[in-house]
Amino acid sequence: MILRRRGVLGFLILLIAVLALAAASCGGDDNNGGGGGGGGGAVEALPSASCGPIRKGSEDPEMLIASDLPLQGANRALTTQMADAIEYMLEQQDWKAGDVVLGYQSCDDSTAQAGSWDSAKCSSNARSYAANKAVIGVIGTFNSGCAKLEIPIANRATGGQLAMVSPANTYPGLTEGGPGTEAGEPDVYYPTGKRNYARVVWNDQFQGAANAQLAQQLGLKKFFVLNDGETYGQGIATLFIQYAKKLGIQILSNQKWDKKASSYESLASRIQASGADAVFLGGIVCNNGGKLIKDIKAGAPNAQLVGPDGWTPISATVEGAGGAANNMYITQPGVPVDQLTGAGKDFVNGFKEQFGKEPDPYTAYAAQAVQVLMDAIEKGGTDRAAVSSALFDTDITDGIVGSFKIDENGDTTLGKVSVYQVKNGDGAFVKTVTPELSFVEAG
Amino acid sequence: MQIPGLPESRRAEFESELRRRGIRAGIAGVAWIVLVTVTTGYTNSLVVSTAILAALYVVPWDMLRHGKWVVPTAAILLAVLYPYYRENLYEVPIFGPFPSVDTAVTMTIYIMMAIGLNIVVGYAGLLDLGYVAFYAMGAYTAAWFASPHFAESVGAVHVGSVGVSPEAQGFHISIWLVLIVAGLLTGLVGILIGLPTLRLRGDYLAIVTLGFGEIMPQIARNGDNIFGTGFNLTNGAQGINPIDPPGFGNTISNWTGLPADYLTFNASFLGKEIGGVEVFYWTALALLLFTVFCSVRLRDSRLGRAWIAIREDETAAAAMGVPLMRTKTWAYAAGAFFGGIAGAYYASFKSGTFPDDFFFNISVFILCMVILGGMGNIWGVILGGGFLAYLNQEGLGNIGAQLNDNFGPGGSIVNIWDTPIDVPLYQFGIFGLILVLTMLFRPEGLIPSARRKAEFHEGVQEDYLYDQRGAPE
Amino acid sequence: MRRRESVATQARRLPFPTLSGRLPDYIVPALGVLFVGFLLLWLGVNLIKEPSEFYRLFLIGLTNGAIYGLVALGYSLVYGILELINFAHGDVFMLGGMLVATMVASFGLVDESGLFLWSMILLMLVIVMAFCAILNTTIELVAYRRLRHAPRLAPLITAIGMSFILQNIGLRWKGARPTSVDSILPRGDVFTIGGVAYTWDKLIVLLFTVPVLLLLLWLVQKTRQGKAMRATAQDRDAAAMMGINVNRTISFTFFIAGALAGSAGLLYALYITNIRYDEGFRLGLIAFTAAVIGGIGNLPGAVLGGLLIGFIESFNNGLGWATPGSDWTQSIIFALLIIILVFRPEGLLGERTPEGL
Repeated sequence: MILRRRGVLGFLILLIAVLALAAASCGGDDNNGGGGGGGGGAVEALPSASCGPIRKGSEDPEMLIASDLPLQGANRALTTQMADAIEYMLEQQDWKAGDVVLGYQSCDDSTAQAGSWDSAKCSSNARSYAANKAVIGVIGTFNSGCAKLEIPIANRATGGQLAMVSPANTYPGLTEGGPGTEAGEPDVYYPTGKRNYARVVWNDQFQGAANAQLAQQLGLKKFFVLNDGETYGQGIATLFIQYAKKLGIQILSNQKWDKKASSYESLASRIQASGADAVFLGGIVCNNGGKLIKDIKAGAPNAQLVGPDGWTPISATVEGAGGAANNMYITQPGVPVDQLTGAGKDFVNGFKEQFGKEPDPYTAYAAQAVQVLMDAIEKGGTDRAAVSSALFDTDITDGIVGSFKIDENGDTTLGKVSVYQVKNGDGAFVKTVTPELSFVEAG
Repeated sequence: MQIPGLPESRRAEFESELRRRGIRAGIAGVAWIVLVTVTTGYTNSLVVSTAILAALYVVPWDMLRHGKWVVPTAAILLAVLYPYYRENLYEVPIFGPFPSVDTAVTMTIYIMMAIGLNIVVGYAGLLDLGYVAFYAMGAYTAAWFASPHFAESVGAVHVGSVGVSPEAQGFHISIWLVLIVAGLLTGLVGILIGLPTLRLRGDYLAIVTLGFGEIMPQIARNGDNIFGTGFNLTNGAQGINPIDPPGFGNTISNWTGLPADYLTFNASFLGKEIGGVEVFYWTALALLLFTVFCSVRLRDSRLGRAWIAIREDETAAAAMGVPLMRTKTWAYAAGAFFGGIAGAYYASFKSGTFPDDFFFNISVFILCMVILGGMGNIWGVILGGGFLAYLNQEGLGNIGAQLNDNFGPGGSIVNIWDTPIDVPLYQFGIFGLILVLTMLFRPEGLIPSARRKAEFHEGVQEDYLYDQRGAPE
Repeated sequence: MRRRESVATQARRLPFPTLSGRLPDYIVPALGVLFVGFLLLWLGVNLIKEPSEFYRLFLIGLTNGAIYGLVALGYSLVYGILELINFAHGDVFMLGGMLVATMVASFGLVDESGLFLWSMILLMLVIVMAFCAILNTTIELVAYRRLRHAPRLAPLITAIGMSFILQNIGLRWKGARPTSVDSILPRGDVFTIGGVAYTWDKLIVLLFTVPVLLLLLWLVQKTRQGKAMRATAQDRDAAAMMGINVNRTISFTFFIAGALAGSAGLLYALYITNIRYDEGFRLGLIAFTAAVIGGIGNLPGAVLGGLLIGFIESFNNGLGWATPGSDWTQSIIFALLIIILVFRPEGLLGERTPEGL
């Protein structure tokens, strides 16, 4: 009732608001609670929407390393292990590369609903790395499709191109032209004309060649090729076909499989009718691979299955396909972790001790990527462009996965592909295949 | 004291309204401040922002001369200045910090799409379950005309290209032109889809649009070799990237100071360092304003009234001489136009487009924005769109983290579940729940349009709004 | 007040203005004949080139089609009575399949055979039918009943919402990866023709679908409850005046539709041996298309539509000569849906009647 006489209440409130606004704009810097992700210290953390808190040693970091992996979905077990390995490696180096004190944030480029990498997430992550000047290097990405989005953004980062080292991208076009790439690659990913991306795994040209050689060694003559229609799957299928044809292997067909289909019976029937003695599965196990293997085994029981590293971890393939996966050959770049020597062996033992688990081969590559990136930071200091160009002078002796260099394209010179065969629900190591460089390039 | 802009005759009304709202806002505001202070801590921004919102709400601005402009102007001002004060804002209980500017860009783009869909669903009353097709069309248009995709077939075609070397192969058209082209092309697609299907009854139309929404991504996915001709339209599942960033190019940039290339842009403006994201955000806001303006003008135009007439009673509208097909097709075209622009801008923002971005769930997601906000009411749609896009981008992740911290393994309040619950995984379940609850308990949405509310609650229950029963052409 | 017609002759209701109104009368039938001609040519050439392949695909299509048909029956029933596209139907089916997957695993049926296996399958059938029937009835009660007098848009939107909720229940239950179901159906050959075996599991699917359809037809056309359903479909208010409990009749319809979805879920889980949380939605769309192709509301039409789609899918995925291939299957099915809705909205088996046109 008292209010009745105060017609100007609204104006009073407005007045208060304006005053308060003025107060806030003067005193705006006394609270800084908004954006950060729980880190502390001088560096600004990457947004908490996709990145975890800053991990650091005893000193406050001056620079950040981010890892960019799909932490949700089918690859979750592997990618969280890789993030653990990255942190473990940094801790081993006392969070220092040369004089630079480092912090680490593990970022996620996947959405739970998609269960794998998400294009919006990838580009928004890349933009936040590029915009945050504390970020000196990125370990990632895991998926080649995501790398295609992130590399150009990191390449145009303010303050010089931002270094990226991938432990898992195998699509060739990211670093070089030639077999299995598209016109204009890789230059389209480097709009500034300077390179900023390297990887420590062999690209699919080698894996395709190794698979073709494996097929020849197994005496398989007629292949029916399937692919899942994604960057990786389609790419490796095309490469396999190219190299297999060179070795005189007959390719009967190259078809997509629809990951959403409920059954592949008619496809299997098609394979059976084509008279193929083997099927190459260019794709990844999480695209309904289990059902695909089951149906092919039921419809074309005599066809030998061969798959690239998209079917690793082998446990996932076995879980999806059950007994039908038996006898399938699966290749993977690198050597099995129990055959690593020197620094690699130390890493495997140390990792096992801390996390109680044998690291996956890709985990070893993640650790290797950290080593390469820290090496470059040591040379380049806190300057983004300098670190990026130092990547291409990498010369690692007795690294985690062996001794190797990074060539001017950003590819590793180290090349061995391991062959596993599924036996009784487990992957048994068969041998390693090392394709000749001349054969790979002739493709 | 004379209140400026208020006729003395309405003073009593004004004051009573002021009092009514003042009490409400006072109680709510104080409760809010106390709640936030107790849960996440006090900052000055809490009082300031609450006071501003309260001031905007409490005064019945509409009664004042020129008063109707106050709230929109304030809203625009607050939105534009967002990057400046975001870092000083408080943390909202449960939801966590306010969205990052990056998220705000995505939110703005989704709001644009929601406004586009609102023209079809809200104004014209045509249920479109395949809106994602328009978004896809816009995104692919951007991909065709501003990327190296057609490098082999066209050579280097540059029109105001930004961020690529002048020799770069393929179409590199300035994004501003591409946006217009995308809008027009998508509008055309809307007309083409509409012509054969708009004669169908409401739920059949819904299912047909759903069909188109399912076919489009498949065309995108398989379009790297259309019918074996070797013509690569969409580059298949690999998607098309990189797409050129927006920008004004060096010439205009030198004249005006506008950013030459959004991705590499970096400058200091009004005491804050401005990067690419902020510029992306302001551009998105400008596009949104354009969309809102067009949408409001369309609604109030002759065409808009025809849409509403059709929505309310098709037969009566036809009898009054409203050309059904043409009116409906225009609704489709207009909705598609804005969807196309939003899609193209989003593709440029993401710098790539992939067929997996366009699945059915996105259509439902945008529909959910329209329904939650209030069909037909543009302010409601903005609210619904912004809120849901925020939830999708950041909110659910934050909520999940808070829930797990408090109730998960080793929870700080009480340990209820032992394995962390991945809340964002269930985003579409949550959106589904929002759809059901809204429809059951508040079918007119959060901010209803008065007309729509009436339709849901009285008048037209027994005859069929979305039913065309042989109405003559 | 609106008139409503029987489930079986639902199509009669439709006074669609179609494109044919503008074109000369013979154009659409002529195009149809031409289309069917090309189709037959394509099938014929493939049959001659690879007869055993053709036969094998025919069997695959027949079996998958029967499952689609079973799901489609549920859509048809509900649409017939409420004129509501029950989007959640496919997801009820999916949850049924998941329940079966759980039961197969926990009953330990892998190496069983003979009478024990069959009695367990029968038990599972009863359980899953009851589960899905109750679930479907509950959904109607919670999500649709309140909206019976709202604009048509409203229940359609809640149906989509329910569908998403059920999907996420499935996601929470079994995770995002496909759940593998142990293969327990006998997969031996029934007989072999020209090197192509007809296996028991395929026969079982057919042996199940046909009686279900007959039973359903009998239920709708001959029983008292069926009569109530038809009356409710024709005119809800008049039916109420005649003493029919409309709410109970609608609940009953949802109950039957849910039971059908449950039985389809059982067949799907046992025959396909893989189920994923979003499969129900995808299959639901296909089944809805089947129902529309057959003439929505028309029960034999739903099964016919299901079979047709099964054939399209298997032939398109598997045939060798001039085939678009599995990449385009989904597009072809939805294109067919659009074409049917635009040119012959009453479906294949629905009859076009003069009233309203």
